[in-house]
Parts: sequence; structure tokens; C-alpha cells
Amino acid sequence: MNTVRRLTGHLARGIAMIWVVTTISFVIIRNIPGDPVMGQYEKLIEQGMAPDQAERATAALYGFLPTGSLWDQYVGYLNGLIHLDLGQSLSTPGAGVATIIGSAAKWTILPVLGGTLLSFLLGVTMGVYAAIKRSGKLGDVLSISGSLLHGVPQYVIGLLVTAIFTTLWPILPAGGPVDIEYVPGFNAGYLVSLVQHATLPVLTYALASYGGWILAMKSSVATVLGDDFILAAELRGLKRGVLFRYIARNAILPLFTILALSLGMLFGGAIFIETIFNYPGLGLLLVNSIGARDYALMGGTFLVITVAVVAANIAADLMYAVIDPRVRSGGAA
Amino acid sequence: MKRLAAITAVAVISTASACGGAGGSAGSDVYTTIDGAKQIDATAPINPFNPQGNTFLGYDAMSLAWPKNDPVDPNRFYPGIAATWTVTPDQGEVVVRLQPAARWSDGKPVTSEDVRTSIGLAYTQGGTAYAVDPKAAGSAADVQVLDAKTVKVTQGANKSNLFLRNVLSTVVVPAHVFGGLLPADFWATLKAARGSGPAAEKAKTAITGLAQKVISFAPAKDVSAGPFVLERVNPGEALLVRNKYFYANQNVAPERVKVLNYTGNQQIWNYLISGKLDSAPFTAVPTDVLNRIRQTQGNEVRKGFSPVAVSMAFNQTHKPYDNVHVRRALAYLIDRSQVTKVASPEAGTPAETTTGIHAKSAKSWLGDGLGDLDAYQVNPAKAAQELKAAGMTQQGGKWAMPDGSPWQVEIHVPASFSDWVSAAKAITSQLNDHGIDASVITAADYTLYLDELSSGRYDIGFWLMALGPSPYNIFQRIYGSANGWQLLAGQLTRVPPGTQGNWMGGPETLDGVNPGTLTGRLNAVSPEEQRRIVGMLAKVTNQELPVIQLYDYVNTQFVSTTRYTGWPSADSDVLRLPAGVWMQLGMIKKGGR
Repeated sequence: MNTVRRLTGHLARGIAMIWVVTTISFVIIRNIPGDPVMGQYEKLIEQGMAPDQAERATAALYGFLPTGSLWDQYVGYLNGLIHLDLGQSLSTPGAGVATIIGSAAKWTILPVLGGTLLSFLLGVTMGVYAAIKRSGKLGDVLSISGSLLHGVPQYVIGLLVTAIFTTLWPILPAGGPVDIEYVPGFNAGYLVSLVQHATLPVLTYALASYGGWILAMKSSVATVLGDDFILAAELRGLKRGVLFRYIARNAILPLFTILALSLGMLFGGAIFIETIFNYPGLGLLLVNSIGARDYALMGGTFLVITVAVVAANIAADLMYAVIDPRVRSGGAA
Repeated sequence: MKRLAAITAVAVISTASACGGAGGSAGSDVYTTIDGAKQIDATAPINPFNPQGNTFLGYDAMSLAWPKNDPVDPNRFYPGIAATWTVTPDQGEVVVRLQPAARWSDGKPVTSEDVRTSIGLAYTQGGTAYAVDPKAAGSAADVQVLDAKTVKVTQGANKSNLFLRNVLSTVVVPAHVFGGLLPADFWATLKAARGSGPAAEKAKTAITGLAQKVISFAPAKDVSAGPFVLERVNPGEALLVRNKYFYANQNVAPERVKVLNYTGNQQIWNYLISGKLDSAPFTAVPTDVLNRIRQTQGNEVRKGFSPVAVSMAFNQTHKPYDNVHVRRALAYLIDRSQVTKVASPEAGTPAETTTGIHAKSAKSWLGDGLGDLDAYQVNPAKAAQELKAAGMTQQGGKWAMPDGSPWQVEIHVPASFSDWVSAAKAITSQLNDHGIDASVITAADYTLYLDELSSGRYDIGFWLMALGPSPYNIFQRIYGSANGWQLLAGQLTRVPPGTQGNWMGGPETLDGVNPGTLTGRLNAVSPEEQRRIVGMLAKVTNQELPVIQLYDYVNTQFVSTTRYTGWPSADSDVLRLPAGVWMQLGMIKKGGR
């Protein structure tokens, strides 16, 4: 009963949060300066199209522009959301926003989820070693590598791995999600191509976030190492492996919350990584929709990110209670 | 642990080996390129009326004909779906004869009815040759099917000398796929729309109301009359395979075409450096990158005419830029060669002077008259004279406004245009050296830049101009809607500065000449009269400087001779056409060096 009440409270707060964020983002998006039709027209001119041709190519876009007062548009938008209709895209006229987001989301989940989990596993494991061996060379090396990678921006790592693996030692594809020559499905060629194309984005994401995990885990382990139960375990003569598990299980608790939030944020995509690798996920979609002033697509993408973060927050809260008995029993965390 | 590490290492090496030249895996029968006109969106329909649609001009989307890259004449073409055409001297009638052997990729013949349906669909989108409003210059009044392979398109009363060009640029779609989009009474409605009164207005609304339906239409599969047909598309690439029914299949060498998506120039450069592309579209390239691209075996550069130039445009409602002496002074202080060297050394040539026309076209249009114009060579003494003539004052080595207040020159550019940013920085540096306090302000993106520019917020902004080959297109950028002259439904009107997009805010007449009216006439007059008007407009532009022409773009493309040969030579009149057209024309052959 307590759990149901807790869940209901979380859901109510989550829906309220989504409504607030959606409303704020709606107002901001509709007030971004810039005329999408003029932008498209000049873009075509820039590409060498004659003015009359460019005019013809953009004229029909006027029909896809939102009309009516801001309030009317807002009411229409909310009404659409209630009916799970995110509207029509302006930059890809005629295509539904939900379809476009659905298409992009799958390409974000693969590299960002893969990168997050890989960096989490590596970072947490190395973080424990860095804390335990903090007075040795291994600890120094791990800590320095974590600090260095934590300080280098994602896009710098992305450009470096691109230069190394696509130009200096060209063994991996420079961009795109999969080679079009392979028929999509469960066949070796397609799957290998999928992995090849995801390797550099995943590697970049993992390297860029690995530093944060290792430093956080090292700090958490260092705190746990000073706890009385560790001293008691050592005095009881427990094996190193058992002791390691004691340390890791207690130190990892705060990192689970960060992991859950990171997984929620993954729907925001990795904007720089997707842009560098031309990887067609939500981050790249968001950038393109802002450039094109595609109001409906921007709104839809923000909505997906908001829902994912709110859902991840709720999941983190609930999960914490599951993995930490002190929270579940109402004791001190 | 060691065993695990060894297994991991072997797996990594195996994967890398499996990639086997991810940088250049294309087989000899695959042609790899990039469509510079759009980014690939896998959710977009296979529909040429959709600006994001998954059709690729020259490969699976076919025009009646393909315009040649002529610096002066906009009415020269290579055949496309149209094998031949005739046009009356006043361009009142265009008769198009289709390729006798043309077939769609599903085996059905390409007929006049396909052309008529395509024109009907084009009317729903608006535009020049197919404007519903009968008063619009150069709009078609009638489309007649003469026989299964011959169509006659008649121009309305308000004639334009671009009618042939606009008709031959029509993209032809299959009537048996797209025809259902037009209601059965479409042509009767169109006829009614070209009349007058409430019934005509209702008919116009009915036709333009079809626009969204047409643009959103998503055929289940591609039906192409071009050399290729779309097999499949993902968000990063599109694969086109040979259309076995293409009328000139003997000319086409590649079996498949792979079109890669790109999100920025640097991706095109990377693809070129890794030797992956057989040809790449026009892209701005810094010198060091160009050198690296050239180092890749087989890569070659093809440069040609590009009818675009970049200028520094003034908002003449803002002081002191309303004064021609100030504009001239700035022109005398800007070293265009230096600016071009810094901003676009490989894809630009310094403007010889300001005429409004690309230098290559200017020679043809103006002949000896070009030499009579002020070249605006760097001349600080003349600049000082001009500034004094404008009443500007000097205080502590800095130029100031006539009332003694500081003069701050602010040049606006979009941050995403790296060559414009470099050019603006070079200009401000030069102006600062001559005692003019100048700075560059960047806008976050191009859309924002255009919005702020057109709303009159900027004193000075960079502006694309000289869009040939049609002389109307050339001068429309200076004496068109950005400067207050609007051509709507055949009627030229003038709107006051600061309203309806008139951000340049120039006067209506210059030296007794109304440049907007003259520009509007360029579409309708004879070639001799065009030449006279172009001469007048070039002269007035050179004297009044609503813009300072900085550099003319050079179309810089890349081709690879590794897998294919037969590439267009430098300055070829096909250079700006898609590579699919080169293939149709039989230029591209298998087997490289």
C-alpha cells in the first residue's frame, strides 16, 4: 500500500513536471527569432538555386507554418498531446513528428546506452582500484587518466578518434549508422556494419564519460573505506574478494542515481557526437530542427527528453529503495 | 585476465579487418557521392515535390531538360526526358517532344499525360511558370497534349523570357502514381482560377489547397524515369540501382549509386581524404584541407563558373550609411584581394569591382563598358576625401560622425559561415588600420541572421548576390524585395524602407533611374534591351554602392579517377549539374587509373 501511494505520488509529480516543462518549452520555441521559410529560401539560394526556383520550392512550406494566436496554438498543441499527436514536421513536410522521433530514437539508444554502460562498468571498476591503490602507481595512473578524460570535451575526443580511425588508420567508417548495401535484418553483413558504424560513437561517448565515473567511484570508495564495517571486516580476516564486494556494493549506491539520470538523459542524445559522426539520433535531430525552426519537431524532441528524464528520476527513486534496504525500511540513508 | 585481453585484442583486429577499408570499400560498379542540395531523411517520402523528399535529381528524378552552366544565357539546355523542343521567338509557345524510348522503372512508357500531370501538380505548389494567378509574369496559360510524346505549353499574356527555362525545368512524375492527387475536375478548376471574380478566387483556393496533400504524398516505392531507381534509404545513406528501362542505358556505367548523408563540410572533406567519394558537390575548403584532399590518390579538383558572389550590404536607413560618400570611402579602404585570400582562397576570386554581376558574366554583359566603371582600388587618400565629403570628422586619429559622436562600424555575419566570418574579420582589421573603429558581430545561425537582417537591425550585413545567369535573378538580389521592390502577380510595387522585408532601404530612384523597375523589366524585354538595362544597372550600382561586392565564388568540386573516368573538364557547362546527368550524357566510364 505504501509503495502504491509512493508510486502514485511520483507519477502525479512527474505529470505536473512534464506539463510545466512542456509549457515553458512551447513558449520559448514559439518565440525563437527566425523565419523558417526565409531560412529555407536563402539556404537554397546559397546552394546555387535560382531565386524563382527557390521561391517555388519554399512556397508550399507556408502551409505547414502554425497559425493563430499563441494561446490558440498552445491549446491545439496540448489537445494534440492528449491524443498522442505531436503534429507535422516543417523541415520534412508531411512527415509526422512522432514518426521522425521514433526513427531517430533507435539510433540514439544504441550508442548512448552502449557508451553509458561501457563507461559505467569500466569507470566503476577502475574507480574501486584507484581508491584501493590510491597510494600506488596504478592508483595514480587511473586517477590521472580519469581527470584528463573528464576534462576533455566530447567533441574534442570525437574529432580525435575520427582523425585516428578514419583518416590516419582508416579501419572504421567515418559516419552514418549502417552501410546501405546490406539489407536490413538479422544477417551477418548488416549486423557487422551496424557494429562498425556504432564503434566510434560508442567509444567517444565511453571515453568522454569514463572520467566522471572513475572519479565519482574513487571518491565514494574512499569514503566507504573509512567506515567501521570495513575495519570490522578486515579484523575478522575476510578474504580480499569478499572485502572488495563489501566496498563496491556500498560505494556504488550514489552512482546508481547518476546512472539512472544519465539513462534518462540519453534521449537527449549526444549532440556533438551525433553531429561529428553524422549519426542520425535525437541529438542531431534536435540540432537540425532548431536550425530549420521546425517548431513541432523541436517541441516533440524536448517532450521526449523531458518525459525520459522525469521517468528516470522516478525510476531512480524507486530503484534506490530496492537496492538500499535502509531507504526501504525508512531508516537513515 | 590475460586470456580475456588476448581474446578482446583478436576480436578488435578481426572487426577492423572485416571493415576492410571502411574508408574506400566501394566496388567498381558502385558510384559514391553526396547530394549537396539536401540532407538525407529516411522518414521523408519518395516525392520530388517534398523539399526533403528521397528523390535525387539526375539519378531517379528527371527534368524535361538540364540547364547548361552558361554565364549569360539561361535558355541553353541538355536533353532530359525531353529529347527536343521548339520555342517561338517571344517564348509564347513551347513544344516539347519526349524521348521516344523513355520508360518508367515499372516498364510503363513515359507519355505526354505524365508531363501534363506533373505540370498540374506543379500548379498546386505555385511558382513562376505555373502560377495560378493569370497576371503573374511568365505563367503558363494552357497545357495541351498533342500526341503521346508531344506536349505544348502556352504562356499567358504577361510574357517572360524565362518561360522556356522554367518549363524545361519541370520535374516529371508518373501519372499512374501521382495522378490520383489531382481531382477529376482539376483542369476545369485551373481554367476557372485563371479567370476573375469570386468563382476564380474560389478555384484558386481549391488549387493551392492541394499543396500540402501533394507535398506529403508518400508513394510505396520509387517509380523513376531516370537512370537509377531508389532501392532503399537509411538515415545515413541512400542506395539507387540501375533502372533497366532507362532510355539511354548504354550511356550509364555504374550499376549502383550510393548517396551519403552529410551534416557539415568537414564530413565531405573526411570522405574525400579517405578516398571514399567518386565525386563531391561544391564545398568551401581551406587551403590546408584542399592539399590533404589532393594527396589522396586519384582525387582531382574541377573548378568552374558559379553564378554567386558575396557582398557587404548596407542598411541605408541607418546613418551614416545613407550617405553614398561613406559607402564609397569603405569601398576604397577594403582590399578585396586580401579579404579573398583570407576568407576563400580556393573557392573565390576577388571582385574586380562592384557591378552586381559575377566577373565572368560581367565581361559578357558589359564588354568594354566594364573598364569605364570605378574599380575601387585601395586608396586611403580618396577614402579620406569621401569621408570628409560626407561630413565625417577625425578625432584623435579616429573617424567620427559629423556631430562628433563615435562611429562604430558593425559588420554582421552568421557564425556558421566560416568564410564570411573570416572575410568580415579581415575587413574590420583593414578598417581599424585606417582609423575606423570596426568590429564583427556574429549571429548564432543563418535563420536568425536573416530574420534580424530583414527586420532592419543591422547596419551592415553580408549578402549573396549576382545569381545568374538570368539578368533578372542577378539584379533582383539588390533591387528586389530586400530593397523594397516586390513583384507580386505581375505587378511591381514599392514598399517603404523598414517594412515588409525592405531592409536595404535605398532610395526609389538613383541618378534618375528606378533600378527596381528596370530589374523587373529584365524578365520581359529583348536580349538587346536586356543588355542596355544591365549596363545601366551595373553603372548605377557601381556609383551608388548599395553593396560592396567582395568576391565571386568559384565552383570547386572534387572527383576521383580511381574507379571512374570521363569527368567534366574545368569550366565545363555540365559542372554544376548532378553527376547523374553526366552519366546520362555518357561521360562517366568505368575503370580508373
